[in-house]
Amino acid sequence: MNIAISDLALIVPELILTGTALVLLLAAGRIQAPSPIAAVTVLAALAAGVVSYWPLPDGPVTGFEKMIAVDDYSRFFKVLIASALAVATLLSVSRTDAERVRPAEYHALLLLASTGMMFAAGALDLLTLYLSLELTTLCSYILVGITVEKPASNEAAIKYFLTGSFASALLLYGIALTYGVTGGKTDFERIAQALSESSSGSHPILLVAISLLGAGLAFKVAAVPFHAWAPDAYQGASAPVAAFLAAASKAAGLAALGRVTLIAFESEAGILSVVLSGLAALSMVVGSLIALSQTDLKRLLAYSSIAHAGYALLGFIAGEAGATMTYAFLYVFMTLGAFGVVIALGERGETLDGYQGLAAQRPRAAALMLLFLLSLTGIPPTAGFAAKFVVILSVIRAGNVPLAVLAVVCSVISAFVYLRVAVLMYMQEPAEPEPSPWPKAVSAAVAVAALVTVIGGIFPGSLTSWAVAPDPALSIIGAR
Amino acid sequence: MTDYPVITATTFLPLVGAAVVMVSRSDRLARWIALVTTLATLVVSSPLYSSDFKKEKSELQFVDEYANWIPTWNVAYEMGVDGISLPFILLATVLTVLCVGASWTAVRTRVREFYAALLVAETAMIGLFAAANLFLFFVFWELIVVPIFLLIGVWGGPQRVYAAVKFLLFTLAGSVLMLVGIIALYNAFGTLDFEELAGKTLPLDTQTWLFVAFLAAFAVKVPMFPVHTWLPDAHTEAPTAGSVILAGILLKMGAYGFLRVSLPILPGAVEIFLTPMLVISAVAIVYGAYVTLAQTDVKRLIAYSSVSHMGFVTLGIFTLNTNGVEGAILQMINHGIISAALFLCVGMIYERTHTREIRDYGGVAKVAPTYSTLLALFCLAAAGFPGLNSFVGEFLIIAGSFATKKWLGVMAIWGVVLGTTYLLWLFYRVVMGELNPGLEGLKLELNAREVLTLAPLAFLALCLGLYPECVLSYLHAPVAQLLSAGAAP
Repeated sequence: MNIAISDLALIVPELILTGTALVLLLAAGRIQAPSPIAAVTVLAALAAGVVSYWPLPDGPVTGFEKMIAVDDYSRFFKVLIASALAVATLLSVSRTDAERVRPAEYHALLLLASTGMMFAAGALDLLTLYLSLELTTLCSYILVGITVEKPASNEAAIKYFLTGSFASALLLYGIALTYGVTGGKTDFERIAQALSESSSGSHPILLVAISLLGAGLAFKVAAVPFHAWAPDAYQGASAPVAAFLAAASKAAGLAALGRVTLIAFESEAGILSVVLSGLAALSMVVGSLIALSQTDLKRLLAYSSIAHAGYALLGFIAGEAGATMTYAFLYVFMTLGAFGVVIALGERGETLDGYQGLAAQRPRAAALMLLFLLSLTGIPPTAGFAAKFVVILSVIRAGNVPLAVLAVVCSVISAFVYLRVAVLMYMQEPAEPEPSPWPKAVSAAVAVAALVTVIGGIFPGSLTSWAVAPDPALSIIGAR
Repeated sequence: MTDYPVITATTFLPLVGAAVVMVSRSDRLARWIALVTTLATLVVSSPLYSSDFKKEKSELQFVDEYANWIPTWNVAYEMGVDGISLPFILLATVLTVLCVGASWTAVRTRVREFYAALLVAETAMIGLFAAANLFLFFVFWELIVVPIFLLIGVWGGPQRVYAAVKFLLFTLAGSVLMLVGIIALYNAFGTLDFEELAGKTLPLDTQTWLFVAFLAAFAVKVPMFPVHTWLPDAHTEAPTAGSVILAGILLKMGAYGFLRVSLPILPGAVEIFLTPMLVISAVAIVYGAYVTLAQTDVKRLIAYSSVSHMGFVTLGIFTLNTNGVEGAILQMINHGIISAALFLCVGMIYERTHTREIRDYGGVAKVAPTYSTLLALFCLAAAGFPGLNSFVGEFLIIAGSFATKKWLGVMAIWGVVLGTTYLLWLFYRVVMGELNPGLEGLKLELNAREVLTLAPLAFLALCLGLYPECVLSYLHAPVAQLLSAGAAP
């Protein structure tokens, strides 16, 4: 193995995040105030985002012996993850204090989890992929359980950890079997080569390998039937952590899933499309239906995020990474916005009843929540509509009209879910005293999310077109 | 020609007004801003009705275009009007002004939000009729749902939440299928422009399922039998302004969709579905009329009468002959004027009596002669009395349906007879006879503001009845174009 030191230039965003995390941990004893620490984290996230956005001078390249890639695809997801990190950090400022969480450790974990996500977005090798996803999930377990004084938080962390390690094991088995079937390959390009060369395309062990990999990755994006952890984890975790998981973690899972399915197992597209269609259909149906009966807002948003994982997968099913990327981008901001309102309202925001009469007490908060809910439903002119349009177009282009119809039918079901909140906010009398004013950081975060939700809806494509250029994203295969 | 983008300005001025209303300091100010905005919108739109609009042209005029709106999807921002959409834009702008007037004292809670919602609805209404491609059409189609949902659910009657949710779910369930249809059209041709789409031909089986997908959306909005059940609840529970918008404009969106999408783009499928559509329309006319006869709530009665009246409209459209289609469009305008007027009349008296039960009324003419006169005018107009507007529309539709199938004409006439019955019976029970003891001591007569609110509609009803050509002259060219393109197999 021969790694050039210049390859480090390819992972500058990840290095920024890791470095900041280490500095925060070192400073943990000295600084206890949450604001400066959050400010540093936001700055680091922004720096990482800007560096990721900057295209490399000589186009897409691979580094570290083809372990990672820096191409449009990874750049896109890295920017997305960095933005989600920045917004989630802003959402956390007021909470770390209230929940007696040590801010330095909390933010260091957020940074490290994001580092893992960024590596996952650029991973070109099953081992890189596995390691980066493990880094992410290990940090996420702790983040979910970090409010040590809340028993629900501990319980959620344990549940998440148990199911999560099971999923990691599945993923690892899948990797091992792939290694065996392809004659010792772990990097995507050679796996694809080996699979296309061998005539025994549907080797039974290959099927098992694909299923296991699919299961492991489906767990990361919380697609049905590997979704059960999400509602518990979101509900038990502090709301900003839930927001971070619903947004960034989902994006990273999608990034990983896309690379694996569209590059490594390209020759198995037939089987994969069946598997993914099943996952997507189940996620949309189950996510929307179960969300109907939720009374806890975080749980409701968890099931909503499960349904949205299904919609996002539609792009991969159609073989259009760009559609899924667009969906992921817009979804991240609308879900962060919805969580932002939940966080801003404090205790009251976490139960459905807390929204009673909100429009009379806080018209702007209610209007913002309505905006995010409409966007999650997919009503124009919000970003959610643009996102749905793109993914449904991709499946129709692939000739899969039934799946498109299922998707829109589920969006009507989910409309009912989001509608309940809107009805409570606007059509009921207030039952609780006025909520306290919003912390500034939360306002800023929600404002960013609202801005993206509006601009992404009125000018669809304006925010995401740079990654969905004619040569869609996965250009790295040709790069040497 | 004028030197500002007339259509764009007309469409988005109310949206700007809505934003201003939201930040205004007092309820009083909000009312005035809303009134000024709606009047300004009317003024801004006035060049459309000048000689700059060429009636003999069938294509879109006053086109505002911005080709680079969504470059990645090749979707442009294009808005424009033709002879079919023009009267609807006038109707929408006029009705919103009247809605502001009618809500002046009726709406007392959360006034700013109310007017903001009303103005957003106005933008959506105008935008829908001015949209020159399916994408914009869908955006405005969905956009209007939100303010109407809030209008019903926040300022409506006792059952408002149920009515609002039912309205929203029915509408969404229909429109998402249309979304699939739109995306499929886009996938097939790479464009969503109405004029370009009309020139393309699709295979018949694709046309068939696309027709069904669009039908789901349009039928719910019209509403056609049997998906009309949201309508009585929504109309009855909505505040007066909401009922006016619903009956005046929202119900026309579905029929307008048939004219803009189904007829020109899917002519093959229209041929296939012709008989079922005609039958459903005839059923809606007669069934709707019988159900109307049985109502005891004034607002519900008018709501159900809309089902019957909109049956005439779809009947006219699917006769596919000039008389039928022109009559249908004229009747859409007529129904917009009359049902809006009737809901306004009901709202005005409800504000005083707080009851909608017919049996609580009676003898209103004794104390409120002006009100009774106006109500008589609108009831007669709705019943198709000669010299008033509906007569012309219904006459054209019936003439068109006799030309297609005789029994359709018979059904339509039957509907007219029933319509006359329930309207005159309603008038008799509310206005004639001895004054209901429960109404004694109430000031039922209209004030100047209310008379001013109703006067434009009375004027329009007379005007269109006596000289229907003022609307029909706009329709000849585009309808001829529509039928010549659609009839060719």
